[in-house]
Amino acid sequence: MVRNRRPSKQMLLLLDALSAHAQQWRHGYDLMKETGLLSGTLYPLLMRMTDQGLVEAEWREPAQPGRPARHAYRLTAAGLALALNVATPAAISSSKVALA
Amino acid sequence: MMLAVAKALMSLATCCLGESRRDWAFAMQGEFDAAIEEGCPLTFAAGCLIAAWREMPRQAEGRLVLANYALALGLLLPMAVLQFTHAIGVILLFIGQVGPGGLLSSGGTQNPYLVWSQLSAAPILLMLWLLLGVGHLRLAWVLVDRDWSSVVKVGALIGAATVTLFTFMGVLFLDVGSLISHAAALAFEFAAIIAAARGQARLVLAASPDLLAW
Repeated sequence: MVRNRRPSKQMLLLLDALSAHAQQWRHGYDLMKETGLLSGTLYPLLMRMTDQGLVEAEWREPAQPGRPARHAYRLTAAGLALALNVATPAAISSSKVALA
Repeated sequence: MMLAVAKALMSLATCCLGESRRDWAFAMQGEFDAAIEEGCPLTFAAGCLIAAWREMPRQAEGRLVLANYALALGLLLPMAVLQFTHAIGVILLFIGQVGPGGLLSSGGTQNPYLVWSQLSAAPILLMLWLLLGVGHLRLAWVLVDRDWSSVVKVGALIGAATVTLFTFMGVLFLDVGSLISHAAALAFEFAAIIAAARGQARLVLAASPDLLAW
């Protein structure tokens, strides 16, 4: 689904963080630290973006035994297109570097 | 202590997210360990609970849960309070602080034998009003818990208690005017509960289409 409205400030922050290393899977807590968003803002945003096909999520085995599996996220092609569309020129160049 | 509160908030967030967002509840739970290591489990858990609350109106299951809470808090609990108020009225009648005139139907005569019968029946009336009040509290609880078999049982008990109360008050020539509005409220209450149960059934069928084949 294509978004017509301009993304919110929080969504821009998240798009920016995810597009900086577009191929890399990121954990929710790392995204919280990087964007400065609280869990109450980050998770509804991730849910919405996953529903819209902008973000994909997958389960990752825990790093240490006995820990729960963790959800990891990265942008889909549509998400990356949106990120590039709304991003500042500086962010676009860093995304291209990350994709290269 | 702070960790226990944070864990409780995480459990509450998981409950609020419901079946349709179960994966996301586990995702939050998975990150909770990282939040503990960073020393801010409470902030993280509170945020997750807020996220769950924000998500509830967007999901059919969440809307049903909110509707059940609204029904329980907006209708069932006030009904319980009303019934306890009636019970207090019967206690005052029983201990003689008010005369039975307050309960007599308009134009009723103060026949001493009838008054004696009415006062003798006061404990039964008290028990019935208390049963209705407690029944409503229990109904609110099982409705929020979505324990539908208990909803049916408690609903049947309330219906039976109301009919018995109606019969007793009629036989004793007590004012049944208040009971008519009570019965109307009860009918509305049961209609709302049936609507909630149908909403739940639709959700279950939507979640498992295989059931339709049965």
